[in-house]
Amino acid sequence: MSYTELQITSNFSFLRGGSHPHEIVEQAAALGYREIAITDYNTLAGVVRAHAAAKKSGIRLIIGCRLELLDGPPLLAYPTDKDAYARLSALLSTGNLRAEKGKCHLYKNDVYKHAQGILFIALTPLLLDEAFDFDDTYKNTLSEYRNNLGKALYLGMSRSYQANDNKRLHRIAELSEALDIKLAATNDVHYHEPERRQLQDILTCIREKCTIHTAGFRLYQNAERYLKTEDEMQRLFRHYPEALTAAREIADACQFSLNSLKYIYPEEITSGGRTPQEELEMLTWQGANEKFIDGIPEKVAENIRYELEFMQRKNYASYFLTVYDFVRFARQRDILCQGRGSAANSVVCYCLGITSVDPSKFKVLFARFMSDARDEPPDIDVDFEHERREEVIQYIYEKYGRDRAAIVATVTQVHWRGAIRDVAKAMGLSTDAVDRLAASIQEFRDELDDSRITSEGFNLADPHLLKTLELTREFVGFPRQLGQHTGGFIITRDRLSDLCPILNARMEERTNIEWNKDDIEELGFLKVDVLALGMLTCIRKAFDLCKQHYNKHYTLADINKEEDPAVYEMISHADTLGVFQIESRAQMSMLPRLKPKCFYDLVIEVAIVRPGPIQGDMVHPYLRRRDGTDPIHYPSQELKEILGRTLGVPLFQEQAMEIAIVAAGFTPAEADGLRRSMATFKAKGKVSDWEKKLVAGMIAKGYEEDFARRVFRQLEGFGSYGFPESHAASFALLVYVSSYIKCYYPDVFATALLNSMPMGFYQPAQIVIDARNHGVEVRPVDINHSSWDNTLEEKSGRYFALRLGFRQIKGLSGDDVQLLMDSRKMPFKHIHALLDAGVSMAALEKLADADAFRSIGFDRRQALWEVSSLSDSPIGMFEGQPSESAAEGQLSLPLLTDAEHVVEDYATVGLSLKAHPVSFARRRLEAMRVMPTGSLPTMKNGDIVAVAGLVTVRQRPGTAKGVIFVTIEDETGFANLVVWGKVFETYRRDIVQARLLMVQGKVQIEGEVIHIIANSCYNLTYLLRTGDESVEPQPAADTKDKTPEAVFHKGRNFR
Amino acid sequence: MPRYASIAFPFLLTEYAARKQPELCGKAFVMASRQRGRMVIDAVSMQAAKKGIANGMVLADCKAVFPELGMMETEPGRTEKILQALAEWSIMYTPYAAVDLPDGLLLDISGCAHLWGGEEAYLEHITAKLNSYGYTIQAAIADTIASAWAVARFAEPMTIVKQGKQRDALQSLPPAALRLEATILARLKKLGMRQIGNFINMPSSALRRRFGKELPKRIAQALGTDVEWIVPVQPVEPYQERLSGMEPIASAIGITIALQQLLEMICARLQTEGLGLRNAVFRCYRVDGIVQQLDIGTGHPSRNTTHLFKLFEHKIATLEPALGFEVFVLEAPKVEPVTDEQAAIWNAATQNDKKVAELLDRVTAKIGPGAVSRYLPAEHHWPERSIKQAVPLWEKPVTEWRKDLPRPIHLLPVPETIEVSAVLPDYPPMLFRHKGTRYSVAKADGPERIEQEWWLSYGLYRDYYVVEDDKGARYWLFRSGPYDGDYPKWFLHGFFA
Repeated sequence: MSYTELQITSNFSFLRGGSHPHEIVEQAAALGYREIAITDYNTLAGVVRAHAAAKKSGIRLIIGCRLELLDGPPLLAYPTDKDAYARLSALLSTGNLRAEKGKCHLYKNDVYKHAQGILFIALTPLLLDEAFDFDDTYKNTLSEYRNNLGKALYLGMSRSYQANDNKRLHRIAELSEALDIKLAATNDVHYHEPERRQLQDILTCIREKCTIHTAGFRLYQNAERYLKTEDEMQRLFRHYPEALTAAREIADACQFSLNSLKYIYPEEITSGGRTPQEELEMLTWQGANEKFIDGIPEKVAENIRYELEFMQRKNYASYFLTVYDFVRFARQRDILCQGRGSAANSVVCYCLGITSVDPSKFKVLFARFMSDARDEPPDIDVDFEHERREEVIQYIYEKYGRDRAAIVATVTQVHWRGAIRDVAKAMGLSTDAVDRLAASIQEFRDELDDSRITSEGFNLADPHLLKTLELTREFVGFPRQLGQHTGGFIITRDRLSDLCPILNARMEERTNIEWNKDDIEELGFLKVDVLALGMLTCIRKAFDLCKQHYNKHYTLADINKEEDPAVYEMISHADTLGVFQIESRAQMSMLPRLKPKCFYDLVIEVAIVRPGPIQGDMVHPYLRRRDGTDPIHYPSQELKEILGRTLGVPLFQEQAMEIAIVAAGFTPAEADGLRRSMATFKAKGKVSDWEKKLVAGMIAKGYEEDFARRVFRQLEGFGSYGFPESHAASFALLVYVSSYIKCYYPDVFATALLNSMPMGFYQPAQIVIDARNHGVEVRPVDINHSSWDNTLEEKSGRYFALRLGFRQIKGLSGDDVQLLMDSRKMPFKHIHALLDAGVSMAALEKLADADAFRSIGFDRRQALWEVSSLSDSPIGMFEGQPSESAAEGQLSLPLLTDAEHVVEDYATVGLSLKAHPVSFARRRLEAMRVMPTGSLPTMKNGDIVAVAGLVTVRQRPGTAKGVIFVTIEDETGFANLVVWGKVFETYRRDIVQARLLMVQGKVQIEGEVIHIIANSCYNLTYLLRTGDESVEPQPAADTKDKTPEAVFHKGRNFR
Repeated sequence: MPRYASIAFPFLLTEYAARKQPELCGKAFVMASRQRGRMVIDAVSMQAAKKGIANGMVLADCKAVFPELGMMETEPGRTEKILQALAEWSIMYTPYAAVDLPDGLLLDISGCAHLWGGEEAYLEHITAKLNSYGYTIQAAIADTIASAWAVARFAEPMTIVKQGKQRDALQSLPPAALRLEATILARLKKLGMRQIGNFINMPSSALRRRFGKELPKRIAQALGTDVEWIVPVQPVEPYQERLSGMEPIASAIGITIALQQLLEMICARLQTEGLGLRNAVFRCYRVDGIVQQLDIGTGHPSRNTTHLFKLFEHKIATLEPALGFEVFVLEAPKVEPVTDEQAAIWNAATQNDKKVAELLDRVTAKIGPGAVSRYLPAEHHWPERSIKQAVPLWEKPVTEWRKDLPRPIHLLPVPETIEVSAVLPDYPPMLFRHKGTRYSVAKADGPERIEQEWWLSYGLYRDYYVVEDDKGARYWLFRSGPYDGDYPKWFLHGFFA
């Protein structure tokens, strides 16, 4: 085939192209093209995918780009070699970095500067003027292009079947003659087949924010912008055969391929002239000597040698050194960090300080990563304290420079709900109909479900609706925008823009590249994930407090050295509120059954309450085997290897994949492909082929079908929430550390947790209640005692007293607090003193509302009365004179009841130390025969009880169909409710709306775990209202969000 | 001593909707509108209110709890319209009736109540009447506007505050009854002041310092030390004139005279208000109770009696006076301002636009509607849809005529089949035969391919050609579908100048 299509707009020109790059490439291959160029608008974001697809289809991808200039007609650009590619990429980077995210500002001069080695096609306007000619501006610019770009410039001609085609082509030919520019034929392809025109029209509507009915001439008048056959192109350009030849000429000249891009590690990671491998070995042994003060055990030394040898063979030294560089920086700055991922759980990483999981205590998982068969690049994610991760990121930018370090992109895809919304809107459906259609898709990744659409009142026989749904199905999965990966960094030795264009991220001080992690993997570039983890912040703060108040110097590794039975005892009683990972309702009810005794038990605990094992129905078999109820047996001897650690039940992602390899005969690559496809294709229902293959493979090897299906379901669960053992181990470490702190220093733990908010499952109120239950005295916010953060004061009983900080007061600004703190040399005696310190009136009112003036003898109401009169304090020459209100005399203010105080406490601080709100309703609850949750342990299994409390958590786990888990809390403790789907449907309103929920149901006791299976639920929120009902009517004029009950947290809601 | 009645309609919009659609009666439904991307509830029906749904809630939240909740979109400005109408209606109770947005009416009833047997009976009468229309109301009477407002909304139903007793009546009401801003209410609440009584006796200087000027002012208004005014609604006269004869009129001349008189009366009024009528109804009440009517419409607001009369003239014969008409009524249900800028819109250089418009009215009145059309460009590629009829005649085009496309001056409404002999593949025809005449093509341009607008219709695309025959006449031809299809059909679709 001699023709090559050189002008193709894919859907990476967002809302312009109507086909995926791979669709275009596949169609080109099917039509017999030998190569094809993709030219998206000012971007190379789609080229890697196209490149990968081309490789698969056995054709060649010509890299190209359509340059939209601010001061001239567009140019198509094709780099002929690697250097020219680097220039093109640099050109795009220049344009990107000048503009805000998503825009690229380029000028003619930029192009001339970067033009060397690049071939160009100048595009011509679609319309002619009234003299059937191009205007002079165009002709002049074209002539300027010719002068600057010389013979590298071609003049594009394409036939769009518009009325002026013949005249236009004639004029183009004239221009080509006059300016001595060669013609080049293209077809300005926007979609791979004519049928996509409809979607392309819809994209135009979305882009132009109009509907298909109002789009008018913004749409193309025909469907000719598809990839045509060579014969057809020959026919269309029969009068201009030289244009076809020129296209061929360009294609032949552009032999650059993405394959020739080579990733090279930065040089800064080594020192003293050592090679990366030498450097790595030196650092590892140095680290090992520090970690093992009593001498490196021979087994460890052997492991190190083995791992180092492997890294050398695979040439991974630079990668580990790069990660080490970040970690070292973090350590210097006292930023806690912890690596995870299969490669992170190695002895080498332990020695380098990348992970704190002690290899002598835990069977290191590196072995699995080391199997040469799985030719994967190493994978290490490093978690940093969430409040300080930015320091690490900026360090990376600073050290390597913005031209060499950037964050990987994420290509956000169009999801079902967004797709149906956009398409339906473009199809001119009413807003109401659009809402209802979108509502029929409940989950983020859900498929369109006809019955749901019908139940929203749509008629599936309506052709307009059917067309809408059809186009939606096509639109789903289109790239929508380039986002920023959560923390994947790519760092190179030379300029990054030689490899890929760089652009500004939405966040300030961030830049990212145009390619996402799959693209990078495809090309063999390596990235390191720099992630943020709230719990590390909390642990860091806890360590600081321990140092300050208990004079203990802890590190992650220290705490993990010994296994403390007291900590495991606490964990076994599910006393884990606030602890990393194992604080959720599901985890808490698992703990007393699992009774963890050692570190590996925690690893299992972290991994077991996950969609994978739950969907695979692996949890209960494991528990029964652990309890000794069921015998431990292995489906086969070959699986005993894999499943030995988990009593024959697969719990980890690695195990499920190994089973696929060992028991179903998958190749490692296939197993990995299977896992990936779970995540990617779930939305499109493509997993069934894999299921057949896996199940058939396992049956062929003599396994039971039931077991095979369970393994598959487990893999399915892992797909979307991958949780491999190596990650679980890293998390388990933090579980242990946070449990340890909670166990020995509940005061420190609560303070650190509150100071790291928002994080975790619980509200400050629950954290404070839990701390008080553990014997920690908690003191209220006060202008004379509090700081911004929560602090520890002197010892009171076993522990230091926790003083709530100003940060707990909603809406109080840090600046005001700073002013207050600065002038608090001596305790304040008057409210005036605060005003004189410069604290704003608004802040004073907030402080009064929060009841923070107790130390000068005012309750919140008196304080507010005083504060509100400060606004006309004498100023100027009258300053210092008493305010008029001083002469006012004492006016009597109504007294606030305790209940009112508690309501106000919740409204301002989110918790109250005075009393639990439910305690004020207790008398009335007793009259309803509602018992305190604290008496639940005295009940027997099967008793019918009624309890009531504030709703703290509502959960509807995806893994438990239709069941709702609710946790309620009263002044005596909390209760865990299970609401079955049917009951939920009946009492839906009460459950969803209640802040104070009363439940009648059956007690279910299983060891220490008490559940109440709800029979009926009632919304008793009205009991929380304070004061006399008759003076608290609810007219329309009342402010909505200030009804007394609204101040209580709604409860963490299910989604 | 003035006395005021305040009437609040807690379910105004929903009850109005139920009046229009009786099937809504007794249903839980709400009116909602889009605010910042969410549907927010603006009004609730009593049944919805009983379920705890209130204004300002997000519709989706309520639907989650009550999937069966009905919903209608709020019509902007509807409240004002209903209240306006109700205020006009209540003029039967007092001349000084006013709309009290957002939810009520205010009546100055000084000296009115005794006509109805005292204030109690007066209030009961209004309540009964409004209830019978389907409105739930809360009403009260007091010395001041502010206290009547407060008591109507926050006290027992049908409270009548005795003269000078405002202070007592307000004591136990919540501060919101004083029509205060949300921020002041919030602060009062935080201070524990749940009743007006908590602070009504405090020195106003102490209140002003803490709450600003508004609070003391509202208290003063409620107590009557500060005066508020009422702005009564002006009843709007409809454009209607009537004429009753001394005795029944049966002759055409008589009717003509009556009509002319009425036209003059109404046009004189339109003249003073700068209006012209767009349609008129001439209603003749026959002695036997039968009503006959003539309708006319103009394409252009007019108050030219001669012109209007001409429109009626030939229709007069269709009336059947029988024993004669006793009353004639002329109404103008639709009037519009007479605009002077029409010259610019209907621009045919020197023509007198009004004359053209009047001529068109007359032609249309004679030969029936639809005979005169004006076409405007429409943004469609498909030729049949690329033009649209102008309704009314001076409708402004929303888009420009495209000059960059070859389009015929005369487009056939329906393309006409032709027989052609053409060279394959997509060349223009060399000859074509239309209605028996043979044309040989001398010159041609094309093809221009126009696809079906798939959201409106399906079918084959068209390849259009502009061709010139040997006599120099130009035609717009097209082939339907691809040249290599089964016997592609050819059509003539238009003529160029």
